[in-house]
Amino acid sequence: MSKYYFCFESYGVAVAIESASKEIVAQAEQTARSALLGNLIEIEHRGEEQCFQLNLLSSGECTIVQNGQEMATGEVSPKFWRFFDSLVRIIVAEHCKSLVFVHAGVVGWRGKALIFPADSFAGKTRLVAELIRRGAEYHSDEYAVIDANGLVYPFARPLTMRPDEVNPRELPMITAEDLGGISGESPIPVACVLFTKYEADAEWNPQVLSSGRGLMEILPQTIAIRRNTEFAINVLKNVITSAIIVKSARPDAAEFAGTFLEFVDNTAF
Amino acid sequence: MNNSQFPAARTSGLVVQEMPDEVLVYDLNTNKAHCLNQTAAKVWKACDGKTSISEIAAHFGKGANEDLVWLAIDQLNENDLLEGEVKSKFKGQSRREVIKKIGLASMVAIPVIASLVAPQNALAAQSCACVNNTQCVNPPNAGHCAAITCNSIGICAP
Repeated sequence: MSKYYFCFESYGVAVAIESASKEIVAQAEQTARSALLGNLIEIEHRGEEQCFQLNLLSSGECTIVQNGQEMATGEVSPKFWRFFDSLVRIIVAEHCKSLVFVHAGVVGWRGKALIFPADSFAGKTRLVAELIRRGAEYHSDEYAVIDANGLVYPFARPLTMRPDEVNPRELPMITAEDLGGISGESPIPVACVLFTKYEADAEWNPQVLSSGRGLMEILPQTIAIRRNTEFAINVLKNVITSAIIVKSARPDAAEFAGTFLEFVDNTAF
Repeated sequence: MNNSQFPAARTSGLVVQEMPDEVLVYDLNTNKAHCLNQTAAKVWKACDGKTSISEIAAHFGKGANEDLVWLAIDQLNENDLLEGEVKSKFKGQSRREVIKKIGLASMVAIPVIASLVAPQNALAAQSCACVNNTQCVNPPNAGHCAAITCNSIGICAP
């Protein structure tokens, strides 16, 4: 029986975190607040929420149970909380009814959003960081959060750079301000959706996609596509039909960013 | 009524989104998305269970023949976008052969349906901290990313 709990609502999604350990709940609350960038309010426990149970075992490990399904068991360590952080973001993104969360990097440029939906390892964060260095406004390196009118809201968590060969043990978290830029604070319409992936020796060869093909490309990156299909497709249509949709492999972000901004200036504004 | 001659478009369990030049159809039963080009969409919309293949072909004017419609029907059937199963007219012929034959005679774009399956798990769209899918568990990342296991699409779990 879970004795302690923390219940919150974020983006309209109610979530309960329960545990028999007061310390675990406190740490989980801190993690949830960080994961959602403070976009949550504490609510009463109503028993209707999406539920995480964190069961501390006698071995010292902890099991995460999400809505009755065991997700993982591990030592209570920073990496355990990083995983929990991901689960919290996903559960909110997946159950949100009024916004669509697309796995993407996002920057603001001349008052409009440039979106880079992509799988992990595509180089989203490095591209976003390079664009910030060149004057773009930071919105997200994780989610494009889109409303029914096709406006994109900032989800500006610190950028998580992957380890590199120079500092293989570093997992630096940097802010837009560290890069000499600023973070966006308002929702903005979309000017360009770019499907791209870093490839060594790649050349920028932009292919403009039809709206149907653009929609097909963005669907796999849409968190709630199975749960809230009709709403998600409607919202994405609004984005796709009002923006330029482009696909191309790209070279290194530092080499590519200027070329891309010039392309956007000439085609999307 | 012979279903093969009077095909009917499936209507239940689908989310249909009209786009400027295409139609996106999302199958809620299979979580497959299909993008129908203009020709495939026009054939699909004409499949009301009462209109024959030859009448559907007539919708395209003189620039098309029944084989073009059959090619669309074949793909619609393959993607479960019709009620009931429709027997293919092109048994024993590859799609390439059929397209080649139609392409020479038709003034209308060949029907095309592109399909994909939506990811099963939202975790599939999440980043882990590794630069390839084996590094989660190996130095130097082992102590830094959220992983104890890491699968082929780069998903970490403790």
